[in-house]
Formats: sequence, structure tokens, C-alpha cells
Amino acid sequence: MIDLAELSALRLAAAIREGKVSSLEATEAALERLRAADARTGCVIALEADEARAAAKAADAARAKGESGGALAGVPLAHKDMFDRRGKVASWGAKIRADRAAAEDATAIARLKAAGALQIAALHLAEFAYGPTGHNYVLGHARNPWDPSRITGGSSSGTAAAVACGAIAAGLGSDTGGSLRLPAACCGIVSLKPTWGRVSRAGAMPLSPSLDTIGVLARHVEDLALMLRLIAGPDARDPAAVALPVADYVARLDDPVSGVRFGIDEALLADAHPGVQSKVEEAAGILGALGMVRGPCRFADWQTLDHLVQLVQLPEASAAHAAFLHTRADDYGPQVRARVEVGHCIGAVDHLTALRARGGVLQRVLAETFRDIDIAVLPVLADPLPRLADLDIGGGARVQSAMGRVVAYTRPINYLGLPTLSLPVPRGGGLPNGVQLIARPFAEARLLAIGRAYQRLVPPEIAHVL
Amino acid sequence: MADATHDGATAADAAARLDVPPERLALARQHAALLGKTAARVAVGLPLTADVDDFRRVLTREAQP
Repeated sequence: MIDLAELSALRLAAAIREGKVSSLEATEAALERLRAADARTGCVIALEADEARAAAKAADAARAKGESGGALAGVPLAHKDMFDRRGKVASWGAKIRADRAAAEDATAIARLKAAGALQIAALHLAEFAYGPTGHNYVLGHARNPWDPSRITGGSSSGTAAAVACGAIAAGLGSDTGGSLRLPAACCGIVSLKPTWGRVSRAGAMPLSPSLDTIGVLARHVEDLALMLRLIAGPDARDPAAVALPVADYVARLDDPVSGVRFGIDEALLADAHPGVQSKVEEAAGILGALGMVRGPCRFADWQTLDHLVQLVQLPEASAAHAAFLHTRADDYGPQVRARVEVGHCIGAVDHLTALRARGGVLQRVLAETFRDIDIAVLPVLADPLPRLADLDIGGGARVQSAMGRVVAYTRPINYLGLPTLSLPVPRGGGLPNGVQLIARPFAEARLLAIGRAYQRLVPPEIAHVL
Repeated sequence: MADATHDGATAADAAARLDVPPERLALARQHAALLGKTAARVAVGLPLTADVDDFRRVLTREAQP
């Protein structure tokens, strides 16, 4: 008897291909789990059951005719509701939304569809993907599947909660300041924020185009590898999508990791809660058990990185929202409204200074921080998993400081554009949290091999809802 | 000109066109001024030839696929 909730997308695709389970059976089971996950966490914006069943039947019919299908043929997935889909209006997690249905699919959606994947639901996100906690003052707050009084993390809150509950094996999200890594850590799953430019953003809701990165959340690292292989690569619709070759990340999952050098900036780690520090050291011990070698690591000026990334993000988000802010300000939730107002106070010279400095800063970080290491390890969250109520601050005076604390370890990495894998630390029966592994540009294959080895010692878990 | 930007006056003209309560506008200006000090410090060390596209060039040059 196959436990469909436990399977990775890669293995579910194989089971469907081999006739051990039909796409319709897998889809019905996913819909049932997703309903239960939604009741617990509020992770669903739109359940698309009828369309999902029709697509599953078509996938089964194609297989019966001997058609080979793609790498994800018949596999039910669901994604953060910020991607264009032909004929549909994405909610963007907002009251204000696109005024007409999309004419074509976002590139990442189109590539997954071409591989045979089904989309069975549109999933919760922070309003306009502009919030790191899963609070959404327009649609309602997402709740953590392990403890509904806690945050899911955001902004890819719904995908993380649905994956953690075993409703789907994997799904798409995005990351501008931590929006893949934070929900992955809070919900006890894995995520990969690829190198900026590795995945096309065409058809995805923009927030801060210089930082926006499309990525994947999953329970199994092998699904990060499979989905990245499918969605990565150049795209005429997104000039920032680079033309470098896309590795076969699945084939490279078993690359050796022994001898790979990693480091922890201990001065930076000291700013985290003691409980988080000990969990990061526990994760470092696991990397050591894999044969990885610890070396020195120091980010020279973390606060400068954090200021520079804000000088990029705040005005870009404000520019994207300028029309709505002038015409529909009252349709924003209080927190996003307060945040998009700030960017209007940042001067163009300061914004351009941050952008012009970016190449040189990255070069220095690679030369200095990564001089003796291949991987930098940091916490994802500075604190143990926060309560929803403690961060329910609306648009008040604490917004910058409270949100700044949540993204303290994630946001500066977006300025550097480096690929980052988020892994759960061992829960030991407690609440989830995570570490992030940061690599040199386009070294996703190495990160994924480390993640795969890590999961042999720290296997994926499900927050069961049925 | 640089002073006008760093005390938030120039950029705040744009913010003033929005319907923002004074206390929130003051907080926004305060935060922008804090970030502006970092921008000013970074700008001092930035060569005239520094370009926004340098970032993409470094990313691809340093690629380790």
C-alpha cells in the first residue's frame, strides 16, 4: 500500500508512470489532504477540484494510450497564488488584483505544465508577497501546521503549510527578502532560493525586480532538484534569466559532499536567540558527520548589506505600487500600506548607489567571506518560532523593527543574489526551525547534494492533518 | 543636493503627495534617513565607473555550476 502523502513528487511520478497508482487517485487524495490542511492552516485561496480531476483523467488517459508524458506527468501540485495562468486572475494575496485574466502562463508554470504537472489549487501568500510572517490583513492570516498559534512564515505561506501537511509534495514560491526560506524553516520543510537570474520571473507578480527570485518548497530535496531542473534556464520573456547551462540536478544529487568546506560567522550567530544558536550548531554537527569540514567565515559588514538591500527593495516595491497607492490606498492592508509608503521617502541617488555598489560588494564577499569555505551557514530565523499574536502589529510604529528582526538573517542574502538552501533543524519533538546554506553563484547542484545527504540523517516529516 | 536627499526632504516631496498621516510619514522619513547615511558612506568609496550591471557580470563570471 503506497502512502501517497509520504511520497516525493519524483517518486509519485514514477508510481503513476508504472501504473501503481493513477493520477486521479493521487489527485483525489491530495484534494482531501489539502481540504484538511486548509481547515488547520488557512493555506488555500482557491481549490480547483473539478479542473484538477479533469486534468488527472486526461493524464491517465494519455498514459493508457502509451504516451510517455513528462517528468511530473499526472502529479498534483499547487503554488503560491502570484503566477499568471492563462484565463485566470491571480489574487496576489490582495484585495487589489489584476484587472483582467492572464493571456498566458507564467514561464515557471508553463514549464511545470509541459512536464505534465497538475495544479490543484492556488495557495495563500502575504498580501502582494510583501510580508515575512504569513500575516495577511486582507485574506486572513496563515497558521502553522505544527502549532496553529504560531506563524507559517511568509510570504510563501500557503505552499509551505500545504507541503508540510503532506497535501502536496512540492510547490512554487518566491523570495525577495526571505519568502522561501522563512516559511520553509517555520513549517519544517526544505526550500531552494536559486541564484538570482537562474529562473525566469516572467508572469510572476513583481515586488522588487532586482531581488525577486522564483524557487521551490518541498519536503524532499530531490523534488527541489527535479523542479529546479524543469523551471531553470533562459527565457526571452525575462532578460534577467541567464543563459548558463542548466545542470541535471537530479543526476547530481549523489555528488560527494565529504570535504566540502563550510563556515559559520560566529559573531553574526551571536545575535540570534540562544536556542537558535544551539540548533545551528546541531545542524553544523550533522554537516560534520557527513564529512564536511568547518572553516572560518566572516561577513565583513552585515548591517551595511541589510541597509543596501532595503535601499533596493523599498523604492522598487513603492514604484511597483505607486498607481495603486495613489488610487486605491484604502484597499491595502495596514502593514503593506505602511511598507510601500516608506520607499517614497528614499531618494533616487541612494537607490542607485545601492544598485551600483552591488557588483563590487558581491565580489568582495566572494573573495573574503568565501575565501576558505564553499558554504556559509546561518540561521533562517533569529528567534524560536514566533506566535501569530506577537507579530500581529498591523502597520504600527514597530513595523520596520519587528519585520527587520524576522528577516535579519535572510534579507541581506538577496542583495548578494546567492543560491541558498533552507533545511529544517532536527525538531526533537519541538517546534520547527531552520538553517540556510549559502553557496557561490550557480552552485545549486552542490547545495542540493548536501541537502540530500543531510536528509539521510534528518528525514522529512509530515504534520499530519488526517 | 546630497544633503537634501539625506535629510529626506527631496524624496519626502514624493511621499507628501500620498495620503500619509504625519506620524507615519515621520517614521518613514526617519527610516529613509538612516538608510541614506549608509548610502552616503558607500557612495564615497564607489568608483565613478561603478555600474548597475556590474552585479550580473560578477554573478556570471563567478558561476560555479
